[in-house]
Amino acid sequence: MTDEQLSQLESPPAVLLIDDSEFVHRILDSRLRSESISLIGEYDGKAGIERAIKDQPALILLDLDMPVMDGFEALRLLKDDPITRNIPVIVISGLNSSQDKVTAFDLGAVDFITKPFELTELRARVRSSLKMSALLRMLEQKAQIDGLSGLYNRAYFDDRFQEEYDRSMRHGQPFSIALIDLDEFKQVNDTYGHPAGDMVISGVARLILQQCRNIDIACRYGGEEFVLIMPETTPAQAFTLCERIRAGCEALSWAQHPSRKVTLSCGVIGADDGNSINSTPQALFEMVDRNLYQAKQNGRNQVKASHFDGTPLTISKAG
Amino acid sequence: MSVPDPNTFSLDINDPEDAELIEYFLGELPEKVDFIHDAADRVDLESLRRIAHQLKGAAPGFGFPSIGSAAKELEGSIRELSESGEDIAGVRAQIESLTSLCQSYISTNPFKK
Repeated sequence: MTDEQLSQLESPPAVLLIDDSEFVHRILDSRLRSESISLIGEYDGKAGIERAIKDQPALILLDLDMPVMDGFEALRLLKDDPITRNIPVIVISGLNSSQDKVTAFDLGAVDFITKPFELTELRARVRSSLKMSALLRMLEQKAQIDGLSGLYNRAYFDDRFQEEYDRSMRHGQPFSIALIDLDEFKQVNDTYGHPAGDMVISGVARLILQQCRNIDIACRYGGEEFVLIMPETTPAQAFTLCERIRAGCEALSWAQHPSRKVTLSCGVIGADDGNSINSTPQALFEMVDRNLYQAKQNGRNQVKASHFDGTPLTISKAG
Repeated sequence: MSVPDPNTFSLDINDPEDAELIEYFLGELPEKVDFIHDAADRVDLESLRRIAHQLKGAAPGFGFPSIGSAAKELEGSIRELSESGEDIAGVRAQIESLTSLCQSYISTNPFKK
């Protein structure tokens, strides 16, 4: 699991209270203080939705009877927007009517609490919804993580590559990607068995994670192939990073086959200025694939890097 | 409605967390009473209904269930009034009983310096 993912799990979950009454903010602030949550608040539906989009809370407590935009309308909009759709919403209301409850559940609320609050019940309901929300997030994360390597999986790479590519183009920042392939990996599997091969995959993945910085996105592309997305990174910097990974891999020793070293080949492509890339992520990926092929052709255990427009890199050879 | 002893709260005033809530509520109450009087003078039924609704939901949690009940009666009367189209005079009694109840709590506020 990456540092980013760990820190999300460790910080107390944010609970967003949307209620026009200062009294309710005050009382929940006091009564939920002992829970390990961080309570944030807004006073009408419109501001609440904006806050939910910005802060992505783990849970929303939503009042129904509010001026400007009432709770039902806010709930409808929250559930319409893909960015906020999966945040569980507990409706809190002084209107204890069955029709309101049915409407709230129909619109996608996970629970309904009536005011005045019964304290033990309130805390229990908040806790139960947070637990559900944490489980859903974990599931979502599991769906993005490759089980063997612990890196992001191929599906996640496809989404994130496009996203980071677009962002770098927009802001004119440097941008690089690397494609890594283990050399003659089939031999390891054939000679020492698949469990030994699995150890190599997870060992190299660990090495990649150790060398990567927080902004890098490391994914297992397939079989023995890994791909790195490196935002804000020039091809020359990306080369240095990948060269460290290459050297690190060559230096690893393997318990199952101490005499058989594992090496990797790597292609790197990128631009010093994202604005200058007049291309597509797909075209960029084809170029990095060609650089990887070159590295293999030139004898493996090496990194082949270039600018997307073919200009050579100026690299101060790292010792 | 029986008049409660203004020195009793449904929360424990000796518990620090409860006391904090009681103090906060009593501190806010004068402003709310003024707001109710103003809204009544302006015949602003929507503002009256909203403040009554808020007090109904919140007061019991701060240890003041009797204020919650009085606010609930006011809210209910305003809803009936809106349906029948009657004059605000129809809810004067409920406004009076809510504000005088609040006043009795304000005047005996144990936290007042």
